Amino acid sequence: MFKIVGKEALNETVVKMTVLAPAVAAKAQAGQFIILRPNEDSERIPLTVADYDRTAGTVTIIFQIVGETTMELNAKAQGEFLCDFVGPLGKPTELDGISRALVVGGGVGCAIALPVAKALHAAGCAVTAVTGFRSKDLVILQDEFKSISDRLFTVTDDGTYGEKGNVCMPLERLLQTEKFDHVFAIGPLVMMKFVVKTAKPFDLPCTVSMNPIMIDGTGMCGGCRLTVGGQTRFACVDGPDFDGYAVDFDEAMSRGAMYRTFEQAAREHACNLLQKEGK
Amino acid sequence: MPSMKPTKTPMPTLDAQQRRRSFDEVALGYTPELAAEEAARCLDCKNPKCVEGCPVNINIPAFIRALKNNDTNGAYSVISASSGLPAVCGRVCPQESQCESRCVRGIKGEPVSIGALERYAADSHAAANPKPPAKPTPSGYRVAVVGSGPASLSCAADLAKAGHGVTVFEALHQPGGVLVYGIPQFRLPKDIVKREIASLQALGVEIQTNSVIGKTYTVDDLFSMGYHAVFIGTGAGLPRFLGVPGEALKGVFSANEFLTRSNLMKAYQKDSHTPIMHARRVCVVGGGNVAMDAARTALRLGAEEVTVVYRRGEEELPARREEVHHAKEEGITFRFLTAPLAVLGYENTENPRDPQNGWVRALRCEQMTLGEPDASGRRSPVPLPDSAFEIETDAVIVAVGTGPNPLIRTTTGGIAFNRRGGIEIDEETGATTRAGVFAGGDTVSGAATVILAMGAGKKAARGICAYLKTL
Repeated sequence: MFKIVGKEALNETVVKMTVLAPAVAAKAQAGQFIILRPNEDSERIPLTVADYDRTAGTVTIIFQIVGETTMELNAKAQGEFLCDFVGPLGKPTELDGISRALVVGGGVGCAIALPVAKALHAAGCAVTAVTGFRSKDLVILQDEFKSISDRLFTVTDDGTYGEKGNVCMPLERLLQTEKFDHVFAIGPLVMMKFVVKTAKPFDLPCTVSMNPIMIDGTGMCGGCRLTVGGQTRFACVDGPDFDGYAVDFDEAMSRGAMYRTFEQAAREHACNLLQKEGK
Repeated sequence: MPSMKPTKTPMPTLDAQQRRRSFDEVALGYTPELAAEEAARCLDCKNPKCVEGCPVNINIPAFIRALKNNDTNGAYSVISASSGLPAVCGRVCPQESQCESRCVRGIKGEPVSIGALERYAADSHAAANPKPPAKPTPSGYRVAVVGSGPASLSCAADLAKAGHGVTVFEALHQPGGVLVYGIPQFRLPKDIVKREIASLQALGVEIQTNSVIGKTYTVDDLFSMGYHAVFIGTGAGLPRFLGVPGEALKGVFSANEFLTRSNLMKAYQKDSHTPIMHARRVCVVGGGNVAMDAARTALRLGAEEVTVVYRRGEEELPARREEVHHAKEEGITFRFLTAPLAVLGYENTENPRDPQNGWVRALRCEQMTLGEPDASGRRSPVPLPDSAFEIETDAVIVAVGTGPNPLIRTTTGGIAFNRRGGIEIDEETGATTRAGVFAGGDTVSGAATVILAMGAGKKAARGICAYLKTL
């Protein structure tokens, strides 16, 4: 059982949760993830390590309440316990040899981009961050990004905060006018697909963070498989970072939608249950 | 007087039509009367051939002798002197190629149903609610056991009985390894696995789930944490795919994924929080026990058509005969001498939003014929030219074998591995090339059986006990 020692809503649908998990905290690195189960009969879900404190023995996750299991997770209060919490899984992000990085985060993907940006900054790298959200209500982590990047550009689809548009706009401008060593893109699949497309003519490495459906997270089932450069790779052990130019995003988007019907029914059921409990 | 009945006392079994949609255990077990009837068929040979056929040399005539005297506890004691998991092995061992294949009764008729009798002895013993054995005096030594499948459970039990402090580290959230994620409920009820785990804990073994050795802790960490020796029993959980086009289509699963969803995550239950595809038509590629388990699980999830596609002939099927027999009774179709070429999917070029796009539509196959024997001794399948055809299907489950997970290999120094990625060990002691590190089971041999894993665990426990004495 893993104790929740901190919980904070970052906006209406995004929650930051800190969990006491000393063994995971001792080893966690930027780019890695954990798998958790809120309750005894819960599904296993992967969530990226947003932050960790090796001294306190805690791991912080930032998640969007989007389906049944994240609803179960959000139903837990500070002081309560998660049934299972395992990690750190996946390969840490490779940060060596980068001096000028462009980190692009979309939506709750910014929570995953943040530890990467933070680690780059700590390694002495110049970090330019671009964050994008649908609207002002969904904007998160601005202060955190400001404190670890040299410059921060924020866009919203509807223009209610920052520049109006999507992340590819400031990205294109920056790539055209300045020199960078590496682009990191983390966010919805369609966003990463277009960031990669935008970056391609500029001939610099582009790393994406993939988030397929996972079950065990240790390489035993292949459920998280992706096609990268024509080869099959497991996101849980070979990733979650991959060369953006080589990833088959369309296939990943298709596979990610496999259980939509089940997920919808589960979400409605969970909603109803929570409403009943509320009454 | 031994019974000279030439045929086995039949095992009571759930009716095939009934059981094909249920996860209840199919084989119901002998009653005391049936057990007595079958035990009477054993001739108590002076030179028992059956014992040689058992990978852990259980004293079979002795346990059957006890059953003839209605002494189920005595029978259980004999079995458990050599086997750590009698209730499991009685159910899942391929007796037809082990003990029962050597039984002299099998020369003129059917062998004694040794497996069924072992199961009877184990189940009766458990039903009598035996007192847990007294915990031995602690030796002061601590051993870390990595993985919690049959090899590790057996190793841990013997180490604990010798007085050593044992901690089992399991990557998943529930211990049991293949016993829990691989073998379905209808073949091995999970209550039995829970019972084995509980008795392990009663011996003082500590089980730490959510611990991935190689990630959460490394083997080096385990020694720093104060363990004097480490046993690696991480199994062979890495799934092999076919390498044919279309394997990334929606509806293609490794058997590991399909079975883990159903068995470990209980996705077969109606109110499960973990999804699983309830496909109407399923093709399972492969011919081993895993393929049978996947096929019979798909059927129980509601499939109308389940086809096992195997590239060799029926004679070459590696699966346990009882599984093949039960699968056929349940209405599963077998297509022998058939090999997959590609998985075909729906592609509506006129409507990119067609919800069927990206889902499996068919399995393209070709006919095979059997040629010369290959390195394994089995006749190798040779494609017949121009024999390609399609099997229309909604899902394809790939059950063509598994290999050792590379996590330990890529994070632990000093251990030698063979070409296939299996850990190299001293056959006598289970010792790896690194001092204090031992290994056994599928992580050494590649995917094999529960009883071989269990035997390897016991052997390594002896090796570890001897090693600890040298410290």
